[in-house]
Amino acid sequence: MTTDAPPWTPAELEARLRAVGAARYHDKHPFNVRMHEGRLSREEIQTWVRNRYYYQTRIPVKDSAILAKADDPAFRREWVQRLHDHDGRAPGEGGLELWLRLAETVGLAREEVASLRAVLPGVRRACDAYVELVESSDLLTAVASSLTELFAGDIMTTRIAAFEKHYPWVDPEGLAYFRTRTRQAPRDAAFGLRFVQEHARTRAAQERCVAALERKCEILWSLLDAVEEAHRRPRLSPHAALRDDEEDPARLVIVLPERAVRLNAAGREILALCDGARSADAIARTLAARHPEEPEVYGDVHDFLAEMTRLGVVSHAD
Amino acid sequence: MPAPRPWNLVAELTYRCPLRCPYCSNPADHAAIRDGLATEDWARVFREAAALGCVHVGLTGGEPSARRDLEALVRHAAEAGLYVHLVTAGLPLRPEQIPALRAAGLRSVQLSIQDADPARSDALAGTESFDRKIALARAVRAAGLALTINVVLHRHNLAPCEPGEPACEGAPSGERDPVRALVALARELDADRLELAHAQYEGWALRNRAALLPTREQVEAAAATVRAERARAARPEILLVLPDWFAGRPKPCMGGWGRRLVVVAPDGLVLPCQAARDLPGLAFWSVTERSLRACWEDAPGMNAFRGEAWMREPCRSCPERARDFGGCRCQAFRIAGDPAATDPACALAPAHERLLALRRGEGAAPALVPRG
Repeated sequence: MTTDAPPWTPAELEARLRAVGAARYHDKHPFNVRMHEGRLSREEIQTWVRNRYYYQTRIPVKDSAILAKADDPAFRREWVQRLHDHDGRAPGEGGLELWLRLAETVGLAREEVASLRAVLPGVRRACDAYVELVESSDLLTAVASSLTELFAGDIMTTRIAAFEKHYPWVDPEGLAYFRTRTRQAPRDAAFGLRFVQEHARTRAAQERCVAALERKCEILWSLLDAVEEAHRRPRLSPHAALRDDEEDPARLVIVLPERAVRLNAAGREILALCDGARSADAIARTLAARHPEEPEVYGDVHDFLAEMTRLGVVSHAD
Repeated sequence: MPAPRPWNLVAELTYRCPLRCPYCSNPADHAAIRDGLATEDWARVFREAAALGCVHVGLTGGEPSARRDLEALVRHAAEAGLYVHLVTAGLPLRPEQIPALRAAGLRSVQLSIQDADPARSDALAGTESFDRKIALARAVRAAGLALTINVVLHRHNLAPCEPGEPACEGAPSGERDPVRALVALARELDADRLELAHAQYEGWALRNRAALLPTREQVEAAAATVRAERARAARPEILLVLPDWFAGRPKPCMGGWGRRLVVVAPDGLVLPCQAARDLPGLAFWSVTERSLRACWEDAPGMNAFRGEAWMREPCRSCPERARDFGGCRCQAFRIAGDPAATDPACALAPAHERLLALRRGEGAAPALVPRG
C-alpha cells in the first residue's frame, strides 16, 4: 500500500476501478464465456439460474445494510430505489419476481427455486461473503463493492443476444430481468461511481475502494466456479487402490500416490456413484432423494466431492 | 506410549547414486554404508511392513534403480499388498524398463529434476541427466502411471539465469521466472504433482548450508508464483514446502517422530527419518537382527521422541505441539546441540536467535560442493 502517496484524480480513480473490471469481472469466467457462446446444456443453465437466485436474494439484504450506514437523506432517497427495483412495490413485482419467472421459463419449479433448498454450498458461501463484506465495511467501501454495476450493463446486453440466438427453448418473455437491468445498472453505477469519486479523498481510501471492488469480483467469480464444478463428472482416480480398513470394517482406505484417505460409510455411498457419467449435481440430488430426512445431504455431497477432487481421490471424465 | 501404526514404509534400497547433488541429505559418509539387505531380506521387510499397517512403500535411496533387483523388489512389495511408489533421479533407470516395472506392480513415480534449465540441471546434478529424466517422465505417463516431479529449491535454482552464466541455456518453455519454468515443465510432462521443497540442511547438504540458503526475497517470490499458478490451473497439484528457516514455526517433521512413517536404511537400520542415524546417543535396531515390528515398536531410539513426554517448555504447553510435533530433532541437534531441545526454527525456541544469526551470516553464497 502506498498510503502516503497523493490521491488520484477522479478520472484516475475511475480508470483504476474500470481496470479491475477489465481484468477480473466474471464476464471472462469460462462458464459465462460458454454461456454466451451457446455451449451450456439445459441442465447447466438451470443450475446457474437456480443458484444465481440466491445471489439475487442477497442484493436487497446488502442494500439494506448500506442504507443503514448512510446519514444523508439524499443518499438514502437514491439508494432506496434499489430495494424497490429488486423487491417491487407490491407482490408480483420487482427483480426477484422477474428472476423467478426466468426460472420457470428455463424449466424450473418456482417453489423449488424460491425455497433455496438446492443452492450449492460454494454459491452460498460466495453470496454470504458478499453480504459480510458489505456489513463489515464503512459506507464508502460498501458502495465501492457495488461498482461491478459499471460492467453489468454490457454483460446483460451480451446475455440477451446470446439467449435469443443459442437457447431458443428459453421463452424471450423470461429474459425480462436482463432487459430491466440494462436500464437500471448504468443508472445505479453512475450514482455509485460519483459517490466514490467524491468521498474517497485520500489515496488510502481510494485503494480501499479498489480492493473492495476486486474482492467483489472474486466473489462473483467463485460463484461461477461452484456452478461449473457441479457439472463436472467425477470418477475414481485411475491411480487409486481400494483397501479394507483393518481397524473398522465399515470404512474404506483409498490409497493414492503419496497419500491415503479413509472413507466412512457415507463417503463410500457417495464414491459408489462417481462413475464418470453422473455429474456432481446429479450425485448430490440422487443422495438427497435417498435421504429425504436429512436436508443437509445435498450440500454435504458437493463439499465432499470438492474435497475428494482436491485430494485426487476422484478425477473428471471431461 | 504404545507405538502407533505406521502408514508409509520408506525403503532406502541403497545410498549409491550417479548424481552429485550438493543438497543431498543422505549421510555424508554414505559410501561407508553398504547395501546390507538382499532381495529376500527386503521381501520380508515389505511383508512385515504390510502386517504393521503400512499401505505405501516408497522405494528410494540414494538411487533405487542402482539396484539390479529393482523389478523383483517392486514385485515383492506389490505382492505384500503395498502401493508401490518409486522415488528416482531418472538414472541409471531407463525408459524401456517402465512397462516391466508397471507389470511388476509399480503404481507411481516421483522423478527429481534439479532445474527447468537443462544445462543448469546437469550442472547441479554433476552429470548429464536432464534429457534422460525427460524421456523417463514421458515413459511414466505413457504407461499410465502417476507422476510427481520433485525439485529441491535453493539459492541457485531460485535465481534467474544471468546473461553470461556458463551453465545456462534457458528453460525449454522460454520462461524466465525459475519457478514458473518448473511449473511449465511439469505441465508439459503432464505430471500429476509438482513438489517444490526447500533444501533440508542434513547429511551432505549441511556442508553446503551457507551456499544453499535462499534469500527471503527468493522464498517470497517462489510462494507468490505458486499461488498464481495454482489459481491458473488445477493440474499439476503444486506442493510447496516452505523453508522452516524463514517461517518462524517448526515443520511437522515426518508427521511426528516414529508416528506415521518408518524408514529402513540400506544397511537394515530402522529409523524415524532418513537423517536420524547421525543423532548421538540413540540406539536404533536393524532388520538384519530383529523383526521390523520389534525395531519399530521397541528400539530405544524409536521411543526417544515419540508422543509428548520428552518435550520441554515452550513445547510442552504449546497448543501447536499436536500439529508440529515439536519440529525436527536433527535440526535441534545441529543448531542447539541437543536433539531434545526445541527446534530452533521456532520463534519461541531458546536457540532461535542462533538460527537467525546463521541465516544472516550465511548470505555470502560460497561455491557449492558437489556430493562426494
